[in-house]
Amino acid sequence: MIPKKSVMKQFAAATIAGTALVGLSAVSQPTTAATQVTIGVTETIASFNPLADSISMGYAIWCQVYGCLGRYDFNKADYVPMLADHWEVDKKDPKIWTFYLKKGLKRQNDGKELTADDVVHSFKRVLTDPQSRQKQNIAPVKEMVAVDKYTVRVITKAPTAPLLEYLFDRFIITGKDLFDKYGQREVDRKAPWGWGPYKLKDLQVGQRIVLEKDAANPSIKPENPDILIYNIMREPEQRVTALLNGEIQIAQFIPPHLAQRVKEAPNVKLEPVGSVEIMFLAMMPKVKPWDNQKLRQAVCYAIDKDAIIKNVLQGQADRLDGPIGQGQYGYDADYAKKNLAMPYDPAKAKELVKESGYKGGVVYLDTPVGRYIDDKQITEAMIPMLNAVGINAKLRTPEWATLWSDVQKGKTPFYYMGRGSVVDPSVALSQYFETGISPRIGLSDPAVDKALQKERVTFDPAERKKALNAAFKAIVDSAAGCFMWRHNFLYGVAKSVDYKPDPGMRIFGSEIKVQ
Amino acid sequence: MLSYLMRRVAGTIPVIVLISLLVFLLIHAAPGDPADLLLSDEATAQDIAEARARWGLDQPIYIQYLRFLINALQGDLGISFRYADPVINMITDRLPATVELAIASILIAIVLGVPLGVWAGAKPNSWADNFGSFFGFFGISMPNFWFGIMLILIVSGYFNWLPSAGRNTYGVPGEEITGLYILDSLITGNWAAAWDGLRYIIMPAVALGTNMMGILMRVTRSSVLEVMHEDYVRTARAKGLDEHDVLWHHVLRNALVPIITVVGLELGTLLSGSIIVETVFSWPGSGSLLIAAIQARDYPLITGTVLTYTVAFVVINFTVDILYAVIDPRIRFDK
Repeated sequence: MIPKKSVMKQFAAATIAGTALVGLSAVSQPTTAATQVTIGVTETIASFNPLADSISMGYAIWCQVYGCLGRYDFNKADYVPMLADHWEVDKKDPKIWTFYLKKGLKRQNDGKELTADDVVHSFKRVLTDPQSRQKQNIAPVKEMVAVDKYTVRVITKAPTAPLLEYLFDRFIITGKDLFDKYGQREVDRKAPWGWGPYKLKDLQVGQRIVLEKDAANPSIKPENPDILIYNIMREPEQRVTALLNGEIQIAQFIPPHLAQRVKEAPNVKLEPVGSVEIMFLAMMPKVKPWDNQKLRQAVCYAIDKDAIIKNVLQGQADRLDGPIGQGQYGYDADYAKKNLAMPYDPAKAKELVKESGYKGGVVYLDTPVGRYIDDKQITEAMIPMLNAVGINAKLRTPEWATLWSDVQKGKTPFYYMGRGSVVDPSVALSQYFETGISPRIGLSDPAVDKALQKERVTFDPAERKKALNAAFKAIVDSAAGCFMWRHNFLYGVAKSVDYKPDPGMRIFGSEIKVQ
Repeated sequence: MLSYLMRRVAGTIPVIVLISLLVFLLIHAAPGDPADLLLSDEATAQDIAEARARWGLDQPIYIQYLRFLINALQGDLGISFRYADPVINMITDRLPATVELAIASILIAIVLGVPLGVWAGAKPNSWADNFGSFFGFFGISMPNFWFGIMLILIVSGYFNWLPSAGRNTYGVPGEEITGLYILDSLITGNWAAAWDGLRYIIMPAVALGTNMMGILMRVTRSSVLEVMHEDYVRTARAKGLDEHDVLWHHVLRNALVPIITVVGLELGTLLSGSIIVETVFSWPGSGSLLIAAIQARDYPLITGTVLTYTVAFVVINFTVDILYAVIDPRIRFDK
């Protein structure tokens, strides 16, 4: 006989205690200060070194802390100054650019003024710092010279019209004197001070980044949050739950299937933003059967983009007719519609397949899983569309590390991919479609090369836009890529906060207002 | 006893070396190049070649392994490709969070699993047994990542009782002594921080500990069932001892050896289980670090973290072996 007392009593006590504990916690939720905004983000930065990352999140953090020469303003659809006051290109020699720095900008913590020496030092540091992952941002630059205290001359290796696309939002300006004092290994931890509007308060890699407003900075306003916390939350469920709970005030990248929960919640709103990440299918012309241009074109005509946007993405994407869309540099809606669109036309696709002489061998479409919004579901929907026009396509879902490494080495003949941060498309298109730039597609088309080279040396904005559109046409004609859409990224934002997301996926405190 | 300990310590060395070799070879054999993954989209072929040379990846694999082994023997696990920090520092920074989570999980598992098992074993085929078995099977069969997400949705999302992610609220933690937030807060008398830490740890600990709770419950039940029919239990009852004393002092103590074995083995599983749970709850431990390292093919960090887990697993099992003798004086190792 076992008496009922012991274990049952202990269980009852534990249950009551547990319930009380949890219940009490609901009452004692920590209150968020009125000027503190917490953001649930998906990426983390790797270290205190501002050069150690090359991701949107990192650039946003360090541009706010140290400062960048300028930024791309999506509202104005133009580049705007940050640490630079203005800039110009030499009319006689387009390889020479001159940047004039703002005068009297004081550094956080010690008040040291920004000078041209700091900019030149930053250029050298990007090149020589062993942790630097940002050399590509200054790739076109041959030399930077301090002309005087507030003037920097930038000499490019060749005329480079899209230079601002390389430098702005990405080239982080760090202090020369601090580097000289503390050395490369210590400077970023001991003195992470810059000329940006926010100071680095705390960094716990993989957990959170905390910034504190520098009220003295001229670009900051009283309504901007005093404390900005970036909490790393990789799971979408978690970000949505935390937003609805009030744990965070902004949730990044809400997948379409969770959007309804946010829409229905009383204290939060859904803020969609068209991204500047272009999604496309890539086919390597060096690999059979993709060496056949007609077969590549057939793929482009076989995909019903509108149906995928409507049914899989629940309307949260903008169809691309050509490589870029509204708001990206060089976009011309009329031109795109007339010359670049490849609308869904299964009959035409079937005809092209027949003309191509394709024998029906299996072709594998490789897709990342979870890297882009609904990537697997999207490509699953593409397979029957391809099969329907006679292309024997099957889906493969390699792990991202494997897929990306293979793409970088030109080992993946047919894949679904995205290219982010495409403001001025020059760099991205050259990277994928110009001969010898990268093996990702391995296209070698003289018409594409010529068009891309021409747009890079054309400085007059109107002429350059024309040149860019000619390049778009050459790329579309090559059919080495089928351009699909740009996702609309959904952000959840608490109603106590006024924030319109940035298509560049960079979250700046100076763009957030606490009501 | 001493010679036994020496033999066991000597025996662990080849195990650790072999595992390090295996991990090293496997991760290098896996497709995906760290330079491709860690440099930006715009990195040129030259940038990639430079990075590979800097990280020593242009050397033959056996040279890379020998370098790793020699450095590891001196306590240097290399520099992380992704974070550019010494791996040993990164692990020591993150390990306390994992250990704290493992301790909390094991406490939940023991506090719930053992009494449930004793209860069920003491009253076989009763409603108590069925109740205990239900929880046991629930714990065993529930995938912890799914359970974690359900907890987030229900406990955080629906009831808004507990925070959904992270380890603490910004600005709350106090002085760091051991790296275990709750313990440090208790030591320093910072009750607000202790409470804050407790609120954050409950859900990941429950998600992680439930599986072990189920296993412990089942093992305890069968072990108690077996011991209940022993002569000394009958003797204890015949002496007129209270049933409570019979159960907790005579039955449970004799049933403890298999329970301790399972706890030891499962503690290692808890460490590996934490890899997923930490990701689900954004718990900043070594498990989530390992996931990030694998995704980036950060070879030194992967090898270092797995090696740490291996050493922890070996040490736990070693400790369990020693505990046998403490629990059951009949067990002697020297014979």
